[in-house]
Amino acid sequence: MVENDYINCKNISKKFGEVKALDDINFVVRKGEIHGLLGENGAGKSTLMNILYGLYSPDEGEIIIGGEKTNIKSPLDSIKIGIGMVHQVSTLVPDFTAVENIILGSEGEKFTLPISREREDIIKISEEFGLQFPADVKIKELSAGVKQKIEIVRALYGGATLLILDEPTTSLVESEFQQLLKSLKVFVDKGVTVVFITHKIKEVMEACTAVTVLRKGKVQARVPKEELGVENLVKLMFMEQDIEVTESALPKVNLPEIELSEKPVAQVKNISIIGDDTSPGLKNISFDIFGGEILGVAAVSGNGEKSIAECIIHPTMLDSGEIFIDEKSMKNNSPVEVFANGVFYTPEDRIKEGILNEGSIKENILLGHHQEDRFLKKKIFIDWKEAASAARDVIKEFNVATPDEDLSIRRLSGGNIQKAILGRAFVSPLKLLVTHNPTSGLDISTVEFIFNKLVELRNKGGAVLFVNEDLDELMIVCDRIAVLHDGELKGIFKRSEFDKFKIGLLMIGG
Amino acid sequence: MAQKNKYKSLILSNLIIYGAAIILALGVISIFVAVLGYNVLEALRTLLTTSFKSSFGFSETVKKAIPLLFATYAFTIPFMIKFFNIGGWGQMLFGGTMTVVVGLTLGPLGLPSIVMVPLLLLVGIISGGLFALLAGFLKAKYDINPIISTIMLNFTAYQFVNFIATSNIFRDPNEGHPITRRLSESSLMGFFGEIPASIILAVIAIIIVYLIMKKTRLGFEITAVGHNLTASETYGINFSKTIMVAFFIGGALAGLGGSLEMLNIHGKLIEGFAKTSGAQYGVFGILTSLVVAGNPLAVPLAAFFMSVLLVGADSLQRTMQIPVEIVFLSQAVIVMFIVIIRERYGKGIK
Ligand SMILES: Nc1ncnc2c1ncn2[C@@H]1O[C@H](COP(=O)(O)OP(=O)(O)O)[C@@H](O)[C@H]1O
Ligand SMILES: [Mg+2]
Repeated sequence: MVENDYINCKNISKKFGEVKALDDINFVVRKGEIHGLLGENGAGKSTLMNILYGLYSPDEGEIIIGGEKTNIKSPLDSIKIGIGMVHQVSTLVPDFTAVENIILGSEGEKFTLPISREREDIIKISEEFGLQFPADVKIKELSAGVKQKIEIVRALYGGATLLILDEPTTSLVESEFQQLLKSLKVFVDKGVTVVFITHKIKEVMEACTAVTVLRKGKVQARVPKEELGVENLVKLMFMEQDIEVTESALPKVNLPEIELSEKPVAQVKNISIIGDDTSPGLKNISFDIFGGEILGVAAVSGNGEKSIAECIIHPTMLDSGEIFIDEKSMKNNSPVEVFANGVFYTPEDRIKEGILNEGSIKENILLGHHQEDRFLKKKIFIDWKEAASAARDVIKEFNVATPDEDLSIRRLSGGNIQKAILGRAFVSPLKLLVTHNPTSGLDISTVEFIFNKLVELRNKGGAVLFVNEDLDELMIVCDRIAVLHDGELKGIFKRSEFDKFKIGLLMIGG
Repeated sequence: MAQKNKYKSLILSNLIIYGAAIILALGVISIFVAVLGYNVLEALRTLLTTSFKSSFGFSETVKKAIPLLFATYAFTIPFMIKFFNIGGWGQMLFGGTMTVVVGLTLGPLGLPSIVMVPLLLLVGIISGGLFALLAGFLKAKYDINPIISTIMLNFTAYQFVNFIATSNIFRDPNEGHPITRRLSESSLMGFFGEIPASIILAVIAIIIVYLIMKKTRLGFEITAVGHNLTASETYGINFSKTIMVAFFIGGALAGLGGSLEMLNIHGKLIEGFAKTSGAQYGVFGILTSLVVAGNPLAVPLAAFFMSVLLVGADSLQRTMQIPVEIVFLSQAVIVMFIVIIRERYGKGIK
């Protein structure tokens, strides 16, 4: 052990169900560092920090702080030993003021009001650290940047000497980011150590004095200040270190050469969506998708990839531009009208957006097709026999592990739910499948199964728009990859041009 | 095969949930009755058997069960998409009042019963439906919480009753208290013995609700929105349309209930009556709906059971001088037990 190791997480592993979120992690932070924790979405950054903060307990491993083994059972314990965390999503009460929020949950004298003494302390801390904010205005009136300052002050007020910031820049504008950078330097001067979680290399380069790169639940490397470089970090973030592992850990598919359709199945023409707090929107994007190809969309999550997937189904989301299916404009069409043109969709979050979780498999397979003539009798009655037979076809074709189509869908495992959702897309003739992160959290054999279904559609002359955050997967199964960053199309690559480094760099805006 | 087993286990779990809740609730009633110094066995027997001991008891039960059925539907159907229609009461009143207004206006034409009754029922259905649709529309268009709008509409309907009952056009000049004139004979509905003819419409309504919810695209869309709004919208179901339709159906059923009360029970509108009998159905409708967790298919049975308790409670008061409030209290207790047991020990009804 090195003398000045402050935090030392040793051999930490954590599983969520089937998903191995953390796999034998060793993570060291030294006193006075601004330590970047870098990794793609889903790499396990939040999970690791939540363990350190006491929100989750690790399945294996131990945490040593200041040379002593600790047993952190809850945030109360971690706050006591000087750990403060600002979470990815705001945890402030919107109807309280900053002062009320900071006092809420802090240990002070109970039942003493007014709170003028605490108020003064809080304002003193905020001035000391250069984090001024209006103390008596309700949180809901404040901007994201100010809220974040308040969260940081809350952690400092709790006595934090280690401050964990989970993706603090997501909702900040550039000037706010610069302000945050300044504050970070002040923290270090005042003896506070910082862990700065991000998936943006640029920020790491500007802010951090050391970096640990996580990838798929594993530590790729701990990079000291001297070795920090964009190229180096991109490689660590996106590439396997051990080629052999790559070979066995990725699914295999066979992509035969086939003719593309003469005319594009879908044309996306100059589409734009105005951005907001939660998404950068889309900035004048155009591309075509032909029958017989899988077009991947590579993006770090939060760069407009969700809008791309959704707006094809919901063209009314567009602020400008137009989408054509088979040269027919979809302008102002509802999802049902888009579906009628042979388009279907599987959403990003399979549980929240994809299923009726109290419904049966049969009802779920019907969803999205329930307005089709095939499933209706006399226009208003649902033909449940037909629905059952469609569901049985899906169960058979997509290997959904279930005794029958009447089983409640939430009884299925994640992989089987995904197979059912994907199968639903194939219930009616399909020309274009838009699918968003269909493989997230699934085991390799299921991923391979899903890939093969996409390829099958492609081989039959169908088109697939495959929006995915895992570049490895895209490179396996796509004919072309479009790269999206901050709502802009950064380029489209043919299979012969696939270059992980180049694409990875574009994904992070380099 | 799996299908059959599934239903068997569902029925069994429902029996256990409801059986346990009712037994617990009867226990609570017994404690109150005992503490107040009455004979517990006697009280329980009266409570549970009055409805079945005489034809009078039974017909009274049916008379209560019919409006209660409609009031319960009024809450249940919007509740399927997770919205509270507190306005079943107002929709009933509005449907009933409009029925009387149209009935008295058309009375002098001397139309035959076969025209008049269906016409007036339709008036009740449509006016109740439109009254509720207002709340659905306000939610869909302006995101106004239906709890608020339906409560407000309740006040409106209540004042509307009084306005009509006291207005010179409809008021019966021979009555001291503000009451409208009686509807003409051809507007009124008859009885089978002591059972009101409105039972036919109750049965039809039960069948139609079943068909809509289980067999139609509309029912599927309502169910889907209730299960997962995001997924439903993703797959093309229009939320605004669905919520408006759900409120319309709920209100239409309440309006029909109000209309039937006018045509089959009261025959006229009385100022202030809304405060007593009408309000009861509004509140008990919500209660009954909560008992069945918003499952429309279970509503008829629940409404009947609640009416048994209501009639039993009246009888307790008459024969044993036990305050009727004890039963109201224990109905609330039953609901609580059912909800607790259901949430704690798995889903029943579905
Ligand atoms: N509470 C949870 N339940 C189930 N899976 C989870 C939970 N939290 C995280 N995961 C999974 O663990 C993995 C790592 O997630 P996370 O730590 O949030 O990643 P990051 O913060 O790096 O984006 C992901 O696959 C995610 O789906
Ligand atoms: Mg995270």
